[in-house]
Amino acid sequence: MQNNSLIGRVAWNTLITLLYLFLLAPIVIVFIISFDTRQYLAFPPESLSFGSYVKVFENVKFISAFWRSLAIGVIVGVVSVSAGMLLSLSLVRYKFRGKAAVNFLILAPFLVPHIVLAVGIMLVIAPIGLLDSYPGIVLAHLGITIPYTVRTITMSLMAVDTRVEEAALVHGASPAMVFWRITLPLVRPGLIAGAVIAFLISFDEATISLFIVSVKASTLPTEIYHYLEYSTDPQIAALSVILILISIGVVVAVERLVGLRRAI
Amino acid sequence: MADHHVIIDNLVKTYPGAQKPSVDHVSFSLPRGEMLALLGPSGCGKTTILRMIAGLIAPSSGAIRLDGRDVSAIPVYKRNMGMVFQAYALFPHMTVAENISFGLEMRKVGRAEREERVRKALDLVKLAGFGERKVSQLSGGQQQRAAIARSLVIEPELLLLDEPLSNLDAKLRDEMRDEIRDIQARTGVTAIFVTHDQDEALSMADRLAVMSAGKLEQIGTPLDIFDRPQTHFVASFIGAGTFFEGRVAGPGLAEVDGLPLLHFAGEAAIGSSIKLMVRPHRLLLAGEPGQPNSFSGVVEHIVYRGQILTLSVRCGSRVLQADLPTHAGVLPKKGDNVTLTVAPDDVTLIGREAA
Repeated sequence: MQNNSLIGRVAWNTLITLLYLFLLAPIVIVFIISFDTRQYLAFPPESLSFGSYVKVFENVKFISAFWRSLAIGVIVGVVSVSAGMLLSLSLVRYKFRGKAAVNFLILAPFLVPHIVLAVGIMLVIAPIGLLDSYPGIVLAHLGITIPYTVRTITMSLMAVDTRVEEAALVHGASPAMVFWRITLPLVRPGLIAGAVIAFLISFDEATISLFIVSVKASTLPTEIYHYLEYSTDPQIAALSVILILISIGVVVAVERLVGLRRAI
Repeated sequence: MADHHVIIDNLVKTYPGAQKPSVDHVSFSLPRGEMLALLGPSGCGKTTILRMIAGLIAPSSGAIRLDGRDVSAIPVYKRNMGMVFQAYALFPHMTVAENISFGLEMRKVGRAEREERVRKALDLVKLAGFGERKVSQLSGGQQQRAAIARSLVIEPELLLLDEPLSNLDAKLRDEMRDEIRDIQARTGVTAIFVTHDQDEALSMADRLAVMSAGKLEQIGTPLDIFDRPQTHFVASFIGAGTFFEGRVAGPGLAEVDGLPLLHFAGEAAIGSSIKLMVRPHRLLLAGEPGQPNSFSGVVEHIVYRGQILTLSVRCGSRVLQADLPTHAGVLPKKGDNVTLTVAPDDVTLIGREAA
């Protein structure tokens, strides 16, 4: 009996360890390759240097695409949270005809493959002349980020006791004041979590972006994709490591700030 | 009545889709400085009335007058009400002082005056020094004090309390009961509180308004309500009692089922149907069989409750409830034959429902 359970525990721990190794292996390999000095992707590296990192920072296309992606991500984050707040308020606080339908529509992008969404969004955006423009890519990204922000904000909003808002009303706060001073601060974790998720999705998104942008509004993921079409060198690995570090940085900062795990 | 501070005039609330109104033509009034309890079982409409007075819900018809002015059309945030919610509803993201200061900020009171008034409010509810605490660091009783301070600091027209004691444990409840009464008396604020607990209502309120199924059954002092109930509902909701339906056989004399003639106080037309009630503590273990208002029977059931002993005595077809003080010499046992007696003054004539 004693033996059995020991063997079981060892087997279980091994399985978990292997699973984590499998999940983390690509990141570890990319990290190691990013220091390789050769001009093609291979493992293990022959000699190590920071050369690829220097090249990434000297690559004008990458750097300008990075700033574009950052700006697009920030705008997408802010707009999805604003729209998500309004949608959540209407879904949580009001009863209206067709509420179930709205709820489903908000959920729908979760269920549709991105490639299908991409074609659909392109067909909508093309006739109004927004292909390869900032408004176009922002709109396209909002289509996939709003479902997430609505989820996080709805969760926070449902946890707000409406009697607290009533107490504010009774003690002299106008409905607008109640919103600013009570409701908004109380759903803050949901707002921040939603904004971060929306930013990260927008910042990483490649499939839909490839259909929408070409030159003027190209994002970092689309630039990476185009770069990979013609060359495969450790620059890509170095860039990937930088992107991973940025994502981790954002998540850690938010976790410190509000407790992301609680917010989601 | 017309010069009363608060006048509730024919208030009706029917929720959309509801068959019956939740509040059905309720009228009452309070002089300045009075504490009124709205008492009734859950779902009787008492909380709906409180919320209408606060302005959180709009009446279907009727008026709410403060100093003669109808406030029904004034939005909730301009009514200048103070309200203590059942679970206190403090703002969880603010400190105690910020909670109390909130109403003053909304009224654009300057910082220095705000701080001074918050300090006084904290003193009033015995929370001096707790201003910088977070709401989550307060005990239930302290949260309630903070909620009371938040409501009083704005010097409200009216203090509204929704089941203020129901979230506290028994010992704290007794303490806060006196505390709330004391704060109300010291500030002189007119107050209305909602409760389903008769002890709370009897001990805290100047007057009680007893409600049932959306209607006001009776309004009066605790003594009125307890000793002179106007309806069967009031008589049975407040305190225990044995009820008799009968017919008036002579002056102060009633024929009731299964018992000898019952002598009662009060006037009723001979031949009319009446309802009578005897409170358990008014029945005495005394008298001889055959004497007026004496009933002999067998003890069917005994409940010992410390200071009192509750007997269920079968007299013919009726069971009488009697509370005896436990210091009263030899106490009866189950199966004993006993004679109970009640003074005619203690046989209460209930309203005129059946007339």
